[in-house]
Amino acid sequence: MSRILRSRELLVFFLLVVLMLAVGLINPNFWQARSLMHILNSSLILLLVSIGEMFVILTRGIDVSVGAILGLSAVILGVALNAGVALPLAVLLALLVSVLAGMVNAVGITFLRVPPIIMTLGTLGVYRGLMLIITGGSWIETIPANIKFFANWHILGVRFFIWLTLVIVLLTTLALRKYKKARYFYAVGDNEEGARLMDIPVKKTLFAAYTLAGLFAGIAAVIFVAQIGFVPMQAGNGQELRAIAADVLGGVNLAGGVGSPLSAVVGAIFLTAVDSALVFLKVPGYWNNAVGGAILLAAVFLDYRVRRAVATQQRQARAAVRKESNHQENTHAPEKEQA
Amino acid sequence: MKSQALKWLKTWEFGLAVLLVLEILVLGAINPTFLNLENLLYSTSDFTHILLAALPLTLIIISAGIDISGVSIMGLSSITLGLIWVAGVNVFVALLIALIIGVLAGMFNGAFVASTDVNPLVITLGSLFMFAGIAMGLPGLLDALGFNAYGAAGFAAYMYEGISGLPHSFNQIAHGGIGWIPYPLIIVLIFAIFLGILLHRTRFGRYLYLIGVNEKAARYSNVPVKSTLISVYALSGLGAALAGVVLTSYFTSARSDLGKEALLTIITVVVLGGADINGGKGSILGTLLAGFLIGFLRQGLLAIGVTSDVVPVVIGALLIIVVVLKLLLASHNQRRLNQQALHVSIERR
Repeated sequence: MSRILRSRELLVFFLLVVLMLAVGLINPNFWQARSLMHILNSSLILLLVSIGEMFVILTRGIDVSVGAILGLSAVILGVALNAGVALPLAVLLALLVSVLAGMVNAVGITFLRVPPIIMTLGTLGVYRGLMLIITGGSWIETIPANIKFFANWHILGVRFFIWLTLVIVLLTTLALRKYKKARYFYAVGDNEEGARLMDIPVKKTLFAAYTLAGLFAGIAAVIFVAQIGFVPMQAGNGQELRAIAADVLGGVNLAGGVGSPLSAVVGAIFLTAVDSALVFLKVPGYWNNAVGGAILLAAVFLDYRVRRAVATQQRQARAAVRKESNHQENTHAPEKEQA
Repeated sequence: MKSQALKWLKTWEFGLAVLLVLEILVLGAINPTFLNLENLLYSTSDFTHILLAALPLTLIIISAGIDISGVSIMGLSSITLGLIWVAGVNVFVALLIALIIGVLAGMFNGAFVASTDVNPLVITLGSLFMFAGIAMGLPGLLDALGFNAYGAAGFAAYMYEGISGLPHSFNQIAHGGIGWIPYPLIIVLIFAIFLGILLHRTRFGRYLYLIGVNEKAARYSNVPVKSTLISVYALSGLGAALAGVVLTSYFTSARSDLGKEALLTIITVVVLGGADINGGKGSILGTLLAGFLIGFLRQGLLAIGVTSDVVPVVIGALLIIVVVLKLLLASHNQRRLNQQALHVSIERR
């Protein structure tokens, strides 16, 4: 029971259902398959960035440059396409840049030992500046239609990008459950010193986490360019903060070692659903941030109270066991306590 | 006395002071107008809002916390001031209320941080969105309630240029001064002296360092952790609100998105000033010097013809380089200390 209570994914999923039911009651149009699909479709970018960010937070780090990496990759993709580079090659180039950007963070954090927030804050400025320098500060307005095609390509009635994201989510979830090296992310975040003593390659694991964060921001950039069809200079602006919010909302713990791709999925869809819900409730768009922020605060507060209640309950249970064993004058009382 | 002077020469703050002088000289050599004292002092108005937010943030970082919501409090205080003024209240009373809103917003953060074990980054991330959202939503809400929040020009004009037409006396805050010293600079200096005394000369300041080094130990030694944390986040809220007011006066219009772009620069200034992001280290003088260093750097780069797009690249790279240098220096010192200790122990044998 307490395990279910402690599962933040479930708590937030429950909140999501309540929210959707409530909005559906007020405006039944909200419950149409079309609008639900729309929410899913518009959550993809945030969702992918959040999964990348999750790897970093699992290792007890933080990456505030992912939004800038998204913007930079999007610009690279746009410029390459407009220069006549073939689509697969341009996409590859954008992904390569995002991986490189992630690797720069990784080098600073693992080898130069710069604290993650400082390193990524620094590169946030650098990448955003590079983005402006490459384009000269003006938007990339025209994007060839060949990439926009993918945004509207339906397979079995569902958009291609939704399928793609689904596959990515399944793969990462499976990897983090079954693949031993992927478990290292949890080990390093939970107890870095312990992981080192167990011969886990801590530096390589950290390196991989920041590189993956870059890669996922790059994938999100490709979807961004395809869906939006142009690249404004604000592309990805503040996306890092939304991604962290989505992760935390879904149950990824900033103290490291706790979370799953499912957390990122639930958190990202929730935040996007809030935006859509406000539209259906005819609340002006500029309230999105206020509601999103309040929900994040409420969720972490609720989570804190639940955790504390569970801890108190466990303590009382232990105390009860101890009392009982004292009563029986059991000499091995301390061993029983652990039960 | 002599050894004390030598010790001062080795401090981080002295290094920053040297860098600052060098920077001004180099930029002056490239573009002599930069050396004009009046110009130099006047140009500080461009970045005083960074300092007003960074100075109290130093205290929070010393306590091993962080507050990224300041950039939203700037907009919130600005729009509060504007709306209350539009409602017919004297602009300086509105200013006072805006500052109080800032303090309350900071206290909200502080109470949340102090009474839960949730990471301050998460809490202030939540309030960053919440305060920004409230600041964005307030004018529209008042509009929907039938209160004309935007003056005669209409709502569309408000969305474009904010609440303008503030009284001249208010706009003088950012554009006037005593002699060559602009008022914003005076506000920064007074605020810095106040925070410096608070941090380095009072029990409250020592508590902050203790909480930053070891919060548990602080709790066990009867430090009032909760009230200390609430106060320090309230100070950060006050600083951000002051920054919002100064920005409002500088741009002569109240907007809910003022200061939005400042987050990177604010944290860069605090870290460059010598504060340790893990808590327990930092000084007001360091942050103050770092603020001028970054502020003049930006000015200087623009003055010698570097486009504003390149500025964040330079500042971001600088942040990383400084921290790497500092880490190298620290490990070098540690190695030397270890060697000294080794020598002593060998001699003793």
